Amino acid sequence: MSTLIVISILAIVVLYLGLFKAKQALLPISVLGLVAALALAIMEWNSNAAPIFSGMMHFDNFAVAFSSICIITTILVFLLSKNYFEKISDNVAEYYTLILFALSGIIVMVSYHNLSMLFVGLEIMSVSLYILAGIKRKDFASNEAALKYFLMGAFSTGFLLFGIALIYGASKSFDLAVIAQYVIDRPTGIDPIFYVGLVLMIVGLCFKVGAAPFHFWTPDVYEGAPTLITAFMSTVVKIAGFAAFLRLFSICFAPLQDFWMPTLLVITILTLFVGNITALYQTNFKRMLAFSSISHAGYMLFAIVALGAASTNAIFIYAAAYAVSSITAFAVLMLVKAKTGSENFEDFNGLAKSNPFLAFALTVAMLSFAGIPLTAGFIGKFFVFNAALAQYHTWLVAIAVVNAIIGVFYYFKVIVAMYFKDNQTKQIATPAYFNFVLGVSLIITLVLGIYPSFITNLF
Amino acid sequence: MSLFYVVAFLSIIFALLVIFTKNPVHSVLYLIATFFTFTIHYIILNAQFLAVVNFIVYMGAIMVLFLFVLMLMNLNTDTEPMKSTLLKVVGAIAGGCLLVTLVGSMKTLSSASTTAMDNTGIGLVENLGKVLFSDFLLPFELSSILLLAAMVGAVLLAKKDNKTA
Amino acid sequence: MSAPVDYLPIIMQLLVALGFVALTMGITHLIGPKRKTTDVKLTAFESGIEVIGNARQPFSIKYFVVAILFVLFDVEVIFMYPWAVNFREFGLNGLIEMFIFMGTLLLGFIYVIKKKALEWD
Repeated sequence: MSTLIVISILAIVVLYLGLFKAKQALLPISVLGLVAALALAIMEWNSNAAPIFSGMMHFDNFAVAFSSICIITTILVFLLSKNYFEKISDNVAEYYTLILFALSGIIVMVSYHNLSMLFVGLEIMSVSLYILAGIKRKDFASNEAALKYFLMGAFSTGFLLFGIALIYGASKSFDLAVIAQYVIDRPTGIDPIFYVGLVLMIVGLCFKVGAAPFHFWTPDVYEGAPTLITAFMSTVVKIAGFAAFLRLFSICFAPLQDFWMPTLLVITILTLFVGNITALYQTNFKRMLAFSSISHAGYMLFAIVALGAASTNAIFIYAAAYAVSSITAFAVLMLVKAKTGSENFEDFNGLAKSNPFLAFALTVAMLSFAGIPLTAGFIGKFFVFNAALAQYHTWLVAIAVVNAIIGVFYYFKVIVAMYFKDNQTKQIATPAYFNFVLGVSLIITLVLGIYPSFITNLF
Repeated sequence: MSLFYVVAFLSIIFALLVIFTKNPVHSVLYLIATFFTFTIHYIILNAQFLAVVNFIVYMGAIMVLFLFVLMLMNLNTDTEPMKSTLLKVVGAIAGGCLLVTLVGSMKTLSSASTTAMDNTGIGLVENLGKVLFSDFLLPFELSSILLLAAMVGAVLLAKKDNKTA
Repeated sequence: MSAPVDYLPIIMQLLVALGFVALTMGITHLIGPKRKTTDVKLTAFESGIEVIGNARQPFSIKYFVVAILFVLFDVEVIFMYPWAVNFREFGLNGLIEMFIFMGTLLLGFIYVIKKKALEWD
């Protein structure tokens, strides 16, 4: 709760700092505030918190873990934003504010204990993101991204809301505990309307996380939005979506696994294939990352399909690994784009010669994406697959392994371009902030890859 | 009960007219009529507050916004491109599937049990206020953040920026 | 407790309002003077210049900012109804709760003013 208050107040403070022309203070204050929020969140660890505000919010270990990872990733994104928004517009403070508002929505989404809170959190996050996607007002792609995201998002929220209403109609409550009790009390004879609500909620949430039949907005939005916002969307927002998804299903719908599992299974397999196979054909690095984020959504859905005690841990590790790798990839992309003006694979040619550190960081990130051992991505995939295998989904894991191999091809395209193709380019000047973020991401990726026991036994 | 059927019939008719009229301004007017029938529905359901909200916010404010958006765009000529037939068929099938699922579940429901609200007066402004300011206090306060975010966004997107980007 | 029947006065008022409009329009039509007009007299007066184009031009986005801000504050005001009805019962707690909500939006309003979003140029 205190985390949420700190972030909300921080957002307003930053907004007013912008009004009073304190531009230099924006970044330090945002980062400091987030560090404070992070500290407050971590202090709640193992405090055995009970649901607060008449069962609206439950800041349990799950919420602490996922809000911490979201805050840390946001700090990394902020560090990359030095001098980025200034190029786009005068209203720099507003961007920080909107990102912070989105983050406060995300904190609600990972800690809700009532479906009305889920909805409010989701809306706060979505509204901020619709605006952020369209902040380049003169850029056609950015406008298209914002409009597409808004229409699709509003549509999916409609599904979600309808689902919530139907579930309320059956169980007479928004409270997760009451809904769970409703399901447990009725081994047979749950209202059919409840099932319809459940399916509609799956549809709504799959829209938000960008899973396969509902993924059409993802590539265009990710490509059109400013790169930094894309980095935020594909990491923090995706993690929050999965946290909300997992929280709902593990608390409320676990006993109904036989009902929703086949649906989700199909979605997962579709997501994996669509994401990976389309990513193979991309020539634009940013678009490739968008499709790869779809495929990663597929891997994370695995842990929900095989819902069990290990799921939370699996998703947490996967999300952590995915977030740091994504941040690295987008950071390097921003630098390359600032240099060459485009985002294609050829722009990375010869990067290993001109900027060995950038090339190395990106290589590690790509290896982590592909799930090569000794990187965090491998541990993440290992745990997700393990969760699936524990429930005897052997053939599902086989499909996932095939997809992981497809993934290696397109991730290696970048590495090949950087190390084996020559291009006489001058060195790209990397600001200190970027070096710091890249260094941190690199260390996290490698440390998690080599000593995973840091976070594997959290839950 | 017969009042319900009359109003429900009108809502559906107006909703269909919203989609089928060619002129966007007429569409908005029919949408207002649709919302008005919803207001009557809320009154029949004894949900005073929702009726008021629907009347003031949706019929009043949001409809004005719709008209403004229409006027912002240049809709003089009927330049709306027709959707392909394939898309129409796909849309009809998808929508039909949803309809069948919903109707099917409603049908089984009616044979099972009709869940009655424990308190029929819950929709009155007074009772709703009591719930809103006790149980649902946190979502209520958070909605101020939501409105603030929307406010900042509206100013950000619509105000003239000196720097061109 | 209120039943749909209680809304009868409102319906009556609605009918009276509608009836008044219909009646006045009808009466002016009936008792007003009638003139035979040609088509030319019915066209818009443009100082003798031929009318060109369409009156419907897309207008400035400034109207839209005002409209959307109006909607946001309208939603805010809506929340005050259930609060005002129970005002005495909530006591000081309710006052504080409402002030937090209002305060947040007031900050938004000050921001809008400071940002000069409501100024016309």
